[in-house]
Amino acid sequence: MQDFFTVNTITELICLFISILCLYKDKNIYWRSFIIYLLLVCTVEMAGISLRLQHKPNYALYTCFLVVECTMISCFFYYLYKKYHHKPGQLYSWLGLFILVFALELFSNHFSNFAYKTAAFMSVVFVIASLYYYMLILQDEHFRKLESYPPFWIVNGVLFFYFGSTACNIFFDYLLQEKAHSITLSTRYVTFNILNVLLYSCWSYAFICRYRQRN
Amino acid sequence: MQISSKELILLIAIITFIFLIAPLFLIIYIFLYNKKKAKHLEEKEILRKTFELELLKTQIEVQEHILQTIASDLHDNIGQLLSLTSMTLSSIKTDHLREEKINTASELTQRAIKELRQLSKKMNGQELIKKSLGHAIAYELDWLKKGLAYEIQFNDHTTHPIPAHADKELIMFRLFQEILSNILKHAQASLIQITIDQTKDHLSLFVKDNGKGFIPEEKIKDGDGLGLFNLQKRTLMMDGNFTINSNPGIGTEIHVSIPYS
Repeated sequence: MQDFFTVNTITELICLFISILCLYKDKNIYWRSFIIYLLLVCTVEMAGISLRLQHKPNYALYTCFLVVECTMISCFFYYLYKKYHHKPGQLYSWLGLFILVFALELFSNHFSNFAYKTAAFMSVVFVIASLYYYMLILQDEHFRKLESYPPFWIVNGVLFFYFGSTACNIFFDYLLQEKAHSITLSTRYVTFNILNVLLYSCWSYAFICRYRQRN
Repeated sequence: MQISSKELILLIAIITFIFLIAPLFLIIYIFLYNKKKAKHLEEKEILRKTFELELLKTQIEVQEHILQTIASDLHDNIGQLLSLTSMTLSSIKTDHLREEKINTASELTQRAIKELRQLSKKMNGQELIKKSLGHAIAYELDWLKKGLAYEIQFNDHTTHPIPAHADKELIMFRLFQEILSNILKHAQASLIQITIDQTKDHLSLFVKDNGKGFIPEEKIKDGDGLGLFNLQKRTLMMDGNFTINSNPGIGTEIHVSIPYS
């Protein structure tokens, strides 16, 4: 049982708990869908640990989850861009491109490994999307108090996570061969722990801000 | 040269660290830029308000100038013509019946001259204010008492005129005229109480009526409160305070206070 409570899972569970408390009554579907997404994140994480404890490969689970992750973050970015008159066609095009790259990678490695190239590609796109959002904020005539502006903190979390994970994604192959004493000591695991804490802290803060502004 | 696995892992850790520092600095930069933007917007708003106030000030000055011109034209030209008519009428010598008619015409002309002088004086605010604000208000109320059935109570608690800020006294007087005009037009009041007060650095005007009253928020919401808005704007132009209390069926209280030091 103790194996299920790692830094990652605890951070994710806290964020899920905060999202339920803060977004349960939110009228916006994009914000409310964070509850479902985080619930899926926690479920996948637990299932992944369970498979690992049974000495079964869990890459297929994380590979499938990549699609959910991409859809959720992309839809949220679309919601943010919508205020600046962006069209849904751009979202569909991006999702189409993602599925194509994802399928190509899966076929090329015969479904035998995590789709790390697609993950790296997705990370780059999300970093660009975050930077583009910052540009839109700076260009906007309307002033916003960024310290407590929820979408800004969601994007901050996304930027920290996907920009920080770039190095790990690029050297994914090499890091897999790393001979660490245990999985918890591997560079990749430690890095993703830090990134997860940053991502979910930013998101939790955004949810709290959203809740306070709604009331 | 071969890089050892330990070195490579260290390199990846350093790259990741740099990749985390970079967004942090970017976010800090965005915060700072946003603060600058807020400051810029604040300055823009102040400039806009200053411009609006300057515009209003100029409008008032132009309005005052026009009134002064009309007043002096009335006094100098039409007044002179009427005086001449009166003199001509009094110099006519005729029989008893015609003399009575000519005397009536002469009396009417004299009254017209008197009314014209009063009107001209009333229009020329600067001339009225010369003595004091209290004097100007009393003169205006005398004019009002003549024609209409209003009970008017005027309390002048001012101690001394403020010639150094005569423009503020004049604007206050114009505000009083507008408030009074609003009461006459809309309030259906029978009692009007006016009090002017003066402290070391503030001049205040309090006007109360027992008219039909209204709900100020509703007036403004319906876009019917333009007069109120103008009064408020003019008071703000002088860094003053404008408060209005009104209840349907009870009446209205308006308090204007402006600093002059």
